[in-house]
Formats: sequence, C-alpha cells, structure tokens
Amino acid sequence: MKSSQLGLVGRRVCSSLRARLWTHVLIAGTMAIVLFVFGAFLLAQENLQNLLKKWGDQIQINAYLVKDLGAGEVSLLRDKIQNFSEVEHVRHISRQQAWKDFQAALGAQSHVLEGLPEDILPASFEIFIKPAYRDGPIVEAFANRLRKEKGFTTVEYPQEWVDRLSLMVLALRWLMWALAGILFVAIFFIVRNTVRLAILARKDEIKVMRWIGAPEQLIQAPFVVEGMLQGFIGAGLSVLGLWFSLRFLRDQTPTSIGLFGSLDRLQFIDWGSIALILAIGSLLGASGSVFSLRRFMRTWRG
Amino acid sequence: MEGVLAALAAAFMIQLSNVSKIYPPNAAALKGISLQIERGECVLVTGPSGAGKTTLLKLLCCEEEPSEGQIFINGKDLIGLNNRGVARLRQQMGLLFQEFKFLPHMTALDNVALAALVIGAPRKESYNKAYRLLHELGLQKKCNAKPPALSGGEQQRIAIARALINDPMVVLADEPTENLDAALAEETMRLFLKSQERGTTIMVASHDLDFSQRYRVRVISLHEGCLVDDSNPATKKGRTG
Repeated sequence: MKSSQLGLVGRRVCSSLRARLWTHVLIAGTMAIVLFVFGAFLLAQENLQNLLKKWGDQIQINAYLVKDLGAGEVSLLRDKIQNFSEVEHVRHISRQQAWKDFQAALGAQSHVLEGLPEDILPASFEIFIKPAYRDGPIVEAFANRLRKEKGFTTVEYPQEWVDRLSLMVLALRWLMWALAGILFVAIFFIVRNTVRLAILARKDEIKVMRWIGAPEQLIQAPFVVEGMLQGFIGAGLSVLGLWFSLRFLRDQTPTSIGLFGSLDRLQFIDWGSIALILAIGSLLGASGSVFSLRRFMRTWRG
Repeated sequence: MEGVLAALAAAFMIQLSNVSKIYPPNAAALKGISLQIERGECVLVTGPSGAGKTTLLKLLCCEEEPSEGQIFINGKDLIGLNNRGVARLRQQMGLLFQEFKFLPHMTALDNVALAALVIGAPRKESYNKAYRLLHELGLQKKCNAKPPALSGGEQQRIAIARALINDPMVVLADEPTENLDAALAEETMRLFLKSQERGTTIMVASHDLDFSQRYRVRVISLHEGCLVDDSNPATKKGRTG
C-alpha cells in the first residue's frame, strides 16, 4: 500500500470513529467486559500459583529423632541425610530449641506450659528439599526412605495441602481456558455481528469505493483497523478494571484471609499477561471484522 | 475460436461478441450484440428508453455480468473476473452514470481526489488535479461543498471531474450532459474530446443525436436490446451518417 493510500485509510478510520462513536464504544465496552472476566481468572491463577510457589519454597520434612540418640549419632545421621541428592540443607532442632520455639509460638498463652518438663518435646531435623525435587510423588518417596532410616520415630511433611492447592491451580487453569474459549467464541460472534451492522450502515461507502476501483485491501483495511482498535481499547479497559478491582479488594476486605495470608500480598497480573490480554483483544477485534467483510465482499459485486 | 477472439480483442479497446443480457425472469435487455471499438475512438450509443444503452455500459464496467457472449476490454476477458480484477479494470476507467455515487460526508474536492488517491496517486498531486478539473468545469467555488448541498448539474460535473482525474483508458458516460445547460454541456464534451486526443476511448450513451452531428463521432443505435445501426463503416451495418 502506498503512503497516500495509508493516509486515506487513517482518515477513513478517524472519520468513522467520529461519525459512529457510540457504536465503537459499545463494541469496545462489550469486549472489555468479556476480557475482564478472562483477566480475573488470570489474576486468580497467577496469585494461587505464587502462593503455591511460596509454600513450595517452605516445604520441609520434619523428622523426629528417637529419644536416647547421642550427639555423635545425631551428627552422623545429619551428615548422612545432608548427602541425599534431594536435600538442600538440614537443620537440627534440639529438645531445648523445640521447647523455646513452642513457647514463642504460643506467645501470651505460653503459661499453659508451666509445670511441664523442658525436655518433653522430641529433637528433630528440619529437612529442606531442593526446588527440583519439590514435587508431590518425589517428596513422598523421599519421606518413605527416611522412615526406613534408624534414628527417626516419625517423619512428617505438609504434602496434603500442597497437593490440594496444586489441584486447585490446575482446575482453575483449565476452567479459565475453557471459559476463555466460550467467551472468545461469544465475543467473536458479537464483534462479527456488530461489524456486519457497521458494514451495512456503510454499504454505500463500500459501493462508492468499489465504483472508483479501490483495491479490496484498501476497502477492508479501515474496518480491520477499527476492529483492532476496539479490541485493544476494550482490552486496555479490562486491564484498568482489574487493577481498580484489586485495589478495591485490598482496601475493603480484612488484611488476612487465613490460609491465603495477607491480601496485601496479592499481586497484579504481570506484563506478559497484560500483553496477552491486549493481544487477544486486538486479534479478536480484527478477526471479527475480517470474517464479516469476507462474506460481504464475496456477495457484493457492484 | 477462442484464440481468434482473443487476437481480435487485443487489436481493439472494446470488443463484444454475441453479448446478451437477460434479467430474471425473462426480460432481455440486450440481444446478441457484437461490436468492436478502437483505441481512442469516441462512440455515441443511442436509442429510446429501454433500448439497452445503460445495460451495455454496465456490462462494460462489470457492474453486471452478461447472460451470454464475451466481452474484452484492452484484450482482457471480463467474464469471470474476480473482485480484484474488477478493481484493476475500474482503475483504468472513468465512469459517469446517472447515479453519481458520491460519499455524502466528503466535499466535492475530496470526492474527486479520492478516485486518484485509491490508485495510489500522491495526495498533493491528486488534490491539485481535482481542483484544476473542477475549475475547468466551473465549480471552483463549490470545492468545499458536500454533494447533497449541490444541484443535479453541479453533481454531474463533479462526477465528470472524477471520471477524468486518472486519465483513464476508457470513459463510459451515461447521459453526461443531461442536467447541464448548453455551455456546460459544450465544456463537458470539450473535456471528453481533450481526453480522447490523449488516447482515451470514449463511449457516451445519450438520446441527443445532435451530439453526433456536432462532434462527428461514430453512432451505435440500439432498439429493444438489438444493435440496429452502426455508423462505423468497418461493421456490417454500415455508416448512416
């Protein structure tokens, strides 16, 4: 396309935006609502994934030592565990340390421990797993290996919660894409039908352009650019909506929601996800226009 | 046979071979028309209302497709031409029909320049040429007016300027002087003939037989869809004056 033709496309787009402002606002608004729903799922999924990662970073196996283990045996056992390929590091918690930690955890209620002997709690190892091995079945297998080691009474780890959350993130991800599929098909048809109405409203303009020998791409380009702009603006509005919604959520709800920690820690979607929403919006807008135009262009000859 | 037609077609600017047009259910607008028009020739197509003059021009600019026969323009077979082919053909044509087909929200100057811009002519050059043509047609004061605000005669002159702006290979004009007074009709014809001097083939459909006498052009007469007279000595109907 030559520069004068590009200029013509630009002027036709501007003229259409001015002349049919509310039609464009309506399409962009519809797209914004649909993309907002998609973005909300993306936001939830990203935050749950972050939470899972944080939990994963804290995955540790607690291995409680038998009561009468000597310092030398503890040291040998610790070295042995440290040499396992799955292990990042091992921390020995003595009986005294366990008592102090328990007291600290109880805080103001620590008086309930009064009268109890300070060596009531067992000594243990806190075994931290390397990131590459923080997968449910691997940790499970490793814990079973530890259980067979002499010197431990009990081996515990919070796998159940991690598994549940992993499943939740997976389900959310599938739900998000399934819903996205339905939403995108819906938005595609909405855009296609709205563009059809816009094309019918501009039928005479298309006929005049054809009459004077305008190439097909020159006739179609303004519609495609308009569709892309509507999609981009709709997507931008949905991202803004998400940002304000997250701020509102942070301001209006209690700071802590139990297991999920503090709402202040909720993260907004990353730049990659913002780019994805903008790209999906633009693509949907443009493709809706292209599909509508193709049908009309085939049927109109004059 | 196909090869002979193609060879003949290359020799003429316009060639029709046994062309018929039947509108559903069974209204024949043209019946078995065959004719050739040379490059740079000016032809008047005449006949009473319903003779098929406008249909003939519509077939030549691909607004309609013939029911039968073949049409060649500059050696190009128009049958089965796709949208891209039609656009290319029209870029080389100046079209002036009774329905002017303007963009109502654009000014007269914009409408004329648009025809040049769509084929990729530079913006400044397109507007200069559009202004010059409108000036020659006495519309220099109406350049910024929008078509709906102009009279029928003024709109006709805008359409004439638009038809001529790209120095077309062929001009197809249906009753181009119908809404114009004598002086403007004369100016319009002067512009067409000036374009013909540059090698443009002109085909004008008109009731006005004075036109042929004044400008000494070939006359093709149609009646009820049939070619009844052709003043061109090269055709079998013979010259009628």
